[in-house]
Amino acid sequence: MAVTFPSLEFFQALQKEMRSEKERFSRLGFFDTTFGILVLAENEGRPAEFVLAFEVFDCVDVRAGRDGASTDFVVEGRFAAWREMLDNIHALGAADTAHSLNTLTHFGEGLQVRYDDPDGHDKMYRFAESIQEFLDLSARVDFVYPDGSHPPQARRSAS
Amino acid sequence: MSYLSTTDFAEDPAFVDRFRRTMKGDLDLSWLDEPRERVRCRPQNERRGLTFRDLDVGSYGFSEMPELIRQNRSFAPRGATMPPGLPDLQAEVNRKSEVWAYNVEGYYEEAMTRQWNATTDIPWRELAAIDLPEDIGKAYAQLLTFLTEVEMIATDVPAKWMGRLNADFFEVKNFIATQAMDEARHAEIFRKRALSTGWGLMRASAQNEFNLKFLRDADSFAEASLALHLQAEGMVLTLFRFSEYISPTDADKKLFRLVMQDEARHVGYGMQHLKWVLDHFPEKREVIHRHLDEAENFVFGGGYATEVMEPFIILSGKGLKKENIEQGIRITMAFQNKQTDEYFERLAKCGMPERRDRSRLWKMVELGKQAMGVAS
Repeated sequence: MAVTFPSLEFFQALQKEMRSEKERFSRLGFFDTTFGILVLAENEGRPAEFVLAFEVFDCVDVRAGRDGASTDFVVEGRFAAWREMLDNIHALGAADTAHSLNTLTHFGEGLQVRYDDPDGHDKMYRFAESIQEFLDLSARVDFVYPDGSHPPQARRSAS
Repeated sequence: MSYLSTTDFAEDPAFVDRFRRTMKGDLDLSWLDEPRERVRCRPQNERRGLTFRDLDVGSYGFSEMPELIRQNRSFAPRGATMPPGLPDLQAEVNRKSEVWAYNVEGYYEEAMTRQWNATTDIPWRELAAIDLPEDIGKAYAQLLTFLTEVEMIATDVPAKWMGRLNADFFEVKNFIATQAMDEARHAEIFRKRALSTGWGLMRASAQNEFNLKFLRDADSFAEASLALHLQAEGMVLTLFRFSEYISPTDADKKLFRLVMQDEARHVGYGMQHLKWVLDHFPEKREVIHRHLDEAENFVFGGGYATEVMEPFIILSGKGLKKENIEQGIRITMAFQNKQTDEYFERLAKCGMPERRDRSRLWKMVELGKQAMGVAS
């Protein structure tokens, strides 16, 4: 059954996919960071906020809302920017040159990174490949957007 | 040979006699009676394995290490008993606050698990099938030439200092050993990618090499670390992120994500080291400022290196036409502003917010921003 983006169930599905790729993520190395995802509504609606915690080789916690959780950084953007990234990943199996997280956030054109501590911010780069591969797992998740539309069909299978 | 034994063992009767007795079964065994501190070290987190932090116990640990290492002048591993007669190896750095960093043991473990392989982790076959347009290909090959040059010195600097640190700084020595390996891998991957573009290595950069010489020739480890880990690698980290941003192919993006991970870890060590220095050796603050004055002078002088700057403009503007160049200049200036903003942000977080007021680099960048109408 399809989950909705953005929702807690969507990120729990990513967490499950990550657990099924234990060897791949173990090979990428220790992955110790907690970061936030903020999806801003296109209209005046409430933003959707999630906290993802990674420890050793796993995604150990996914929760909706900040609830005072301490994060190293928060990736924030309008729903349309997140949708563009997820559509691209779903179609290609992994983000292309224009849609990697670093590219989308580098000058804050698509998504922005918020942080209080530059050391926490740098964790986005210390674990860059793990984070990208985690997001790329969304290519395998069956999901819909709140208006009921689907991401594009895969043009090639995910690697 | 610069060091000779004072004994010719083959001609030494006492040595020969002891050796013969041992080989006949007359063992000495006095080492068995050394009074030892017995400890039980177990992984605190089974999934993580047995880490250096798990070994931070008693005389073997690092938390109780004194600021000045007066006793151990040899290669004796920290916590081992030291019999009389160990040589004085004349370590140059014996003060903990000159080398230590908060969480250095964690950075080491992270480095060990996040190693990757330049030969096998990049889809070289996929890259071989891609022909870049001449202007992009040459600009990219020039950028890769510059990066190879940078990474070779970044390998040499930690390797130079490794043997000069007191053996008690075990975790730091191991961390900078991983750094030397990381940087060697970066030099390897940039050389391989330059040659695989078909354009080969382009022009070395004199201005860049003056800067690299400054990094290599620092008077102390603390100064070398400040200039290498925090200033240079901090700026190179932003450069790697920018390079990922302007990379022409998916495989090149992956390449830059892998190198940026290592670089960010080195910057992390640099930040935690500077915090440690300021917390434990506050009288160093002025020395740090003076070293940064000169480091930043070299950074500003880097503007002379057209063979470094121009490839950024061409790659970010995606070509050599007038409109490409104009776009490339806008993007490259935004990158440079980001690079200096993040550098000063890191220094402020480490406890040097006053650096902005003192720095001529900051003033020049701010003037540039004002001229361009960019908000700071």
